[in-house]
Parts: sequence; structure tokens; C-alpha cells
Amino acid sequence: MDNVASHEDWKSCFSEVAPGLLLFARQWVQSAADAEDVVQEAFVKFWRRNHNIENRALLYAAVRSIALDFIRRDRRRARREATVFAETEPAIEPQFEWGDETQSALAAAVGSLPHDQREVLVLKIWNELTFNEIAGALGISQNTAASRYRYALANLKKSLQPQ
Amino acid sequence: MNDFSELEDELKKLRPAQPSPILFERIEEAFADRRVSAAASARWNWWRLTQTPYSLGSGLAAAAVLVLFAVISLERRQDRGEKIAQISPAPEARPVSPARRNGSGVQGSTSSNRFIPAGATQVVYNTRDEGLQFARGSEQPLRRLRYQTHQTWQWRNPTTGASLRVSYPSEEVVLIPVSGQ
Repeated sequence: MDNVASHEDWKSCFSEVAPGLLLFARQWVQSAADAEDVVQEAFVKFWRRNHNIENRALLYAAVRSIALDFIRRDRRRARREATVFAETEPAIEPQFEWGDETQSALAAAVGSLPHDQREVLVLKIWNELTFNEIAGALGISQNTAASRYRYALANLKKSLQPQ
Repeated sequence: MNDFSELEDELKKLRPAQPSPILFERIEEAFADRRVSAAASARWNWWRLTQTPYSLGSGLAAAAVLVLFAVISLERRQDRGEKIAQISPAPEARPVSPARRNGSGVQGSTSSNRFIPAGATQVVYNTRDEGLQFARGSEQPLRRLRYQTHQTWQWRNPTTGASLRVSYPSEEVVLIPVSGQ
């Protein structure tokens, strides 16, 4: 489909989706700087190829693909990060702006979710994608996306219950 | 799903970290770079569009000048009584004609070396319509047609029967103004 959005539309779109895109990119790369590189590359590529600005599934698929390429490009660094990661936490912790202890605990719980559940949660909650769009972005079925989301919420609820 | 609505609300209150201002600047720069490169590309395409017919025309003109020069050079040589070894039989090898015995040998010799144009053919073997375009500074559309031809020029010496033939491929671009009805 032809892209008829102006530069202002694109800038406005980026301002709107940038935090969610960055959080999504952080599912694969640990540092915020690397995630910003990934987001920039994906968004500029998406824009240059004149994709429809409304095709969010494609935009997130581009972020995912570039993040994975980023990891492959620098295997040594990925190994080092994986080692550090294994020594400290079981999952990459997303970056949130939280205000109190409850939110801090919630953010930590999100970070401890299995990767496949967390990426669906990130796309659904903070990027407001539909299950259909999530399925398109991740290359999975809509039912799988929905079930991963439910598992993620169930796991979160379980981990947040007082012992 | 209703069991999780409260949890979903809590999650939505959790705001993702904002990207650094540098990221927004980098995106702006990428937009600006693209605009500059797009403008440069458009200029280059326009230059190619407008210059190609001229360069082709220049090539054809240069070829025509070369052919003309070759013809003039040939005629000058003939005027000076020079022989064209490759295409004219040696006068010494021929029997002397009666005209030469009568004292008009020089004229006879000159006329035997004279080549006269015997024919020119232009075979158009391909025509391509390259669509409409706008010439620089003009608002009238032009239809661009490209002809690929094979041209042959021929000269003949009526006295000796020798002939000279030059053939070459050529390409011609014709711009035809299109008027709207």
C-alpha cells in the first residue's frame, strides 16, 4: 500500500511509539544505547521503504528482526552479555519508570517472565497491539499470542501474591 | 480474562522509560538526509532526462562530421591525382587509352579516380516509445521516441567500377511536442 504520510506524521508517530519500541527492543539487547540503535535502524528502514504508517505489526517485526541481527553481528558481545545475564538475573529486565515499591516489584516480576510470554505482554500492554498484530509481528498464530499473554498474566499474578 | 483486569490496569500504570533526546535527533537527521538525497536524486534524474538526447545528438553529429571529413579528404586526394591503392587498379597495369594518346591523359586519369555518391540507405530496425517528458523550462509535454537505425553510404567510381561503402549503426532520439485536445 502506498504511504501517503508526511514527515510530520512520521515524527509524530515516532514520538508516540518510541517508548514502546524501545521497551520491545530491550527484550533482546540489554543496554539502552543498543536498543536505541536497533529502534532507529528499524524505524528509518520502515520509513524509507514507504511502508504504511498504520502497519504496526510490520514495524515491530522489523525491530525484532534487526535486534536479532544485532545479536548475530556481535556474537562475542552477546555471549558476554549472556554470561553476565546468567550470573545476575534469569531474564532481561525491561526499563520502566516506576514511582513506588509496588511498581518496582511489578517491573521485576515482568522481567522474570519467560521470554516468549514477556514479548507478547510488552506488545499488548505497552504497545497496544491487537493479538492479530502481535501474531503478525512475531510470526505466530493469534491463538498462540493470546495464550502466551494469558500465561504471562497468570505467572505475574502468581509471583505477586503474598507468600 | 476478567480475572486479570486489575493486574492489567496496574501494568498499564507502569510507564516504559523514555528514549533519550539523542534518539529523536538521530531520527530527525535521518529524515533530513533522506530529503537531501531524494532531492539530489531527482536533480540527477532530471539531468539524465534532459542531457541524454543532447549527448546522443552530439554523438551523431560527430559521426556525421567524420564521414564528411573522410569524403572531403578523399576528393582532395583525387584532385591532387593521388591514387587510392586499395580500391583503384594501378594505371600502369592498364593499357593506355586512346584519349591519353591525344593529350588529354591527365583529365582522363583524374576522372578515373573520381568517386561519386551512389546511394544512402537508412534502415530503422527498432523504434521505442519512451513516454512523455517535460523539457527544461517548458510546460508542454514531449513524447520521446528512440529510433535505432543502420545507415549505409555508398560511393562509386564510374570509370573503374570500384565502389566505397561505409556502414554504421546509429541511434536517434526524437522529441515530438504533444498538444492536449
